Amino acid sequence: MRWSEQAEDLAKAWAEAQKKMWESWFDLIRAAPASSPLPTPAADQWRELALQGLKNWTAESEQVVKDVAERLVTTQDVVMRFLDLSISAWKAMGPQIEAGEDWQTSAKKYADQLRERLLQFPKSAAQAAQDTDELRRLYLEEWQKLVQPWAESLRRVPWQIGQAATGDGSAVVKLTNLYWDAYERTFGRLLESPSLGHTRELTQDLLKGFDAWVDSRRAILDYQTGLAEAWAQAFEEFIRKLVSLAEKGDTIQSLGQMLTLWIDVVEGVFTTRFRSDEYLEKQSRLVNTVMAYRLIERDIVESFLKTSHLPSRSELDDAYRRIYELRREVKELKKSIRDLKAELADRSKQESPAVPFNGPTPDDHGQEQTQN
Amino acid sequence: MAFPFHLSPEETLRDLTELNRKVASGIDNLSRLREEDLQVGVSPKEEVYREDNVVLYRYTPMVDRPFPIPVLIVYALVNRPYMVDLQEDRSMVRNLLKLGIDVYLIDWGYPTRGDCWLTLDDYINGYLNNCVDAVRGRAGLDRINLLGICQGGTFSLCYTALYPEKVKNLITMVAPVDFHVKDGLLNLWVGCGPGRPSMDVDTMVNALGNIPGEFMNFGFLLMKPFELGIRKYLDLIDLLDNDKKLLNFLRMEKWIFDSPDQAGEAYRQFMKDFYQGNKLIKGEVKIGGKPVDLREVRVPVLNVYAEQDHLVPPASSIALVRYVGSADYTVKAFPVGHIGMYVSGKVQQDLPPTIANWLKERA
Repeated sequence: MRWSEQAEDLAKAWAEAQKKMWESWFDLIRAAPASSPLPTPAADQWRELALQGLKNWTAESEQVVKDVAERLVTTQDVVMRFLDLSISAWKAMGPQIEAGEDWQTSAKKYADQLRERLLQFPKSAAQAAQDTDELRRLYLEEWQKLVQPWAESLRRVPWQIGQAATGDGSAVVKLTNLYWDAYERTFGRLLESPSLGHTRELTQDLLKGFDAWVDSRRAILDYQTGLAEAWAQAFEEFIRKLVSLAEKGDTIQSLGQMLTLWIDVVEGVFTTRFRSDEYLEKQSRLVNTVMAYRLIERDIVESFLKTSHLPSRSELDDAYRRIYELRREVKELKKSIRDLKAELADRSKQESPAVPFNGPTPDDHGQEQTQN
Repeated sequence: MAFPFHLSPEETLRDLTELNRKVASGIDNLSRLREEDLQVGVSPKEEVYREDNVVLYRYTPMVDRPFPIPVLIVYALVNRPYMVDLQEDRSMVRNLLKLGIDVYLIDWGYPTRGDCWLTLDDYINGYLNNCVDAVRGRAGLDRINLLGICQGGTFSLCYTALYPEKVKNLITMVAPVDFHVKDGLLNLWVGCGPGRPSMDVDTMVNALGNIPGEFMNFGFLLMKPFELGIRKYLDLIDLLDNDKKLLNFLRMEKWIFDSPDQAGEAYRQFMKDFYQGNKLIKGEVKIGGKPVDLREVRVPVLNVYAEQDHLVPPASSIALVRYVGSADYTVKAFPVGHIGMYVSGKVQQDLPPTIANWLKERA
């Protein structure tokens, strides 16, 4: 049989098997004791509804059981997606190989397409990350959620702030001024608070926050790009292994065998990549920039909390620190008291040694006798 | 070249259907399990001392006259100590008790936000020292045996160097000593070694306070993402209709994902001084201002390590021989991974008698 026919047959069998698999899943879930009624799923809803059904099924179970059940289904899903990808790849490569193209070229073309698909999101997001105007819009959009009571003020600002900006964050300043204008016209007037000082402080925090946010966003995208590359590399390696098997006359006889090969390959590729200098650099930058942003984010949040008369994380941590120091002091004092008591007890024993008893003692007949 | 797949449509459908049936049947089994089926830390014990969140337990002896010098187990701050007493047939504690050893264990508890200021000084010169004193007082002894596991082993080394007059014998299990070994992925990620990109520990602790257990766990799983994230659950599918094996699996799962947060300041010092600075073997660690010199560890030492340990590479543990001052130094290796040391049936046949005999010879 020709390659393309074999690949086509395999793909058809796979599609049919998936369909039957999800159908039988739903039959089982519907029959489960705690199950709620589920609608008949459309083709693309199977996975989501399977997870929902699973939640109903394990509703009364202990948490570790719920977690393991979810991981089981997720694993099954990952396996299905991998098999899907592999079979699609062979289906795509079959005709090309039959047309005389060598397997390396076909595999590489498919892997390149896969790489392109995997990198599509990070690339477009990375392009956005180069566009400062777009970044500002996104950044302020995030803060908008936080400052909900003042959102009306922000919504009045047209999103062409980038055009009005001088590139030094002045658009952000204008927005915060608008925000504080709203505050001043309401609570500010009521409480007669010094809004000018607050504006300056908050403005600085927001500006610092913007830079940190951009750094973290770029680091996240960079990291995702690295992972996407690793996936594409793993797929190429998997194809290479399959072809190597075929050249030796070995074949994959079962899905289990295929899965074992895939897991071995992908684990090897990722583990090697995780040790590379390139990955180490991306990971450390990811962690460090996200944490740096989180610190500044807290400062900004605390500025808003202050105006709302709510205690902040820093204030609580200061209180905890004071409690911790006092607790240590008390423990040390208690230990000193114990040590002093022990020392006093020792001294008492040394200074007042036991004196021989001169009082009457009963003789063998029970009569008292005295000692001189 | 032949087509590499010899998967017939009928067999593929059969395999998938069977996979599906096993998963669904397994989840049905799982859904019937309740909390009482998943008890861990089963050996009877009593609380003998408590300080803040830290509890010292004494396990109920299983012989009439236990060996007179008790063992205090010092576990890591990462993960929960009931791993050493996971279930009846996988319990290093139980096996030691059967061999007549009097066993105590420190449970560090779950740090809350208020505990983020706890330092290594608090843990080692504070809690650990007070627990040792409590055991010494109860046993009426000047010196007791310490058994430190993983980071707890590192702590026990520091403690013994600081308080040699209180320790009779020291056992370290899968304990990191040299943190700048080449083959440690965790070490690489943290930034161990000159010129390596490193984690900014100060910013992380300042931002988070306590380091979340989920974050630690994610890091551990990421070291073997497909083994631990996919293959493990695929293998589970074949266990789902075996109640005993399923329960074993679930207890392990419970432990793996039961990760306490790490107190921020203690984490800061441990990561910066031990991992990044590798100060322990350089003699530059200070705990509460007191310098730790491993050459002051002159008591007998039994160093146990796992040959396939991907978390604490063997080289990291083996290095101990070059730094301790002990004349009586024994090393023992087992062909398992980090966790296998406690739960492998084969190891549990060999390890407890090794420990018990070694201790009894040095009473």
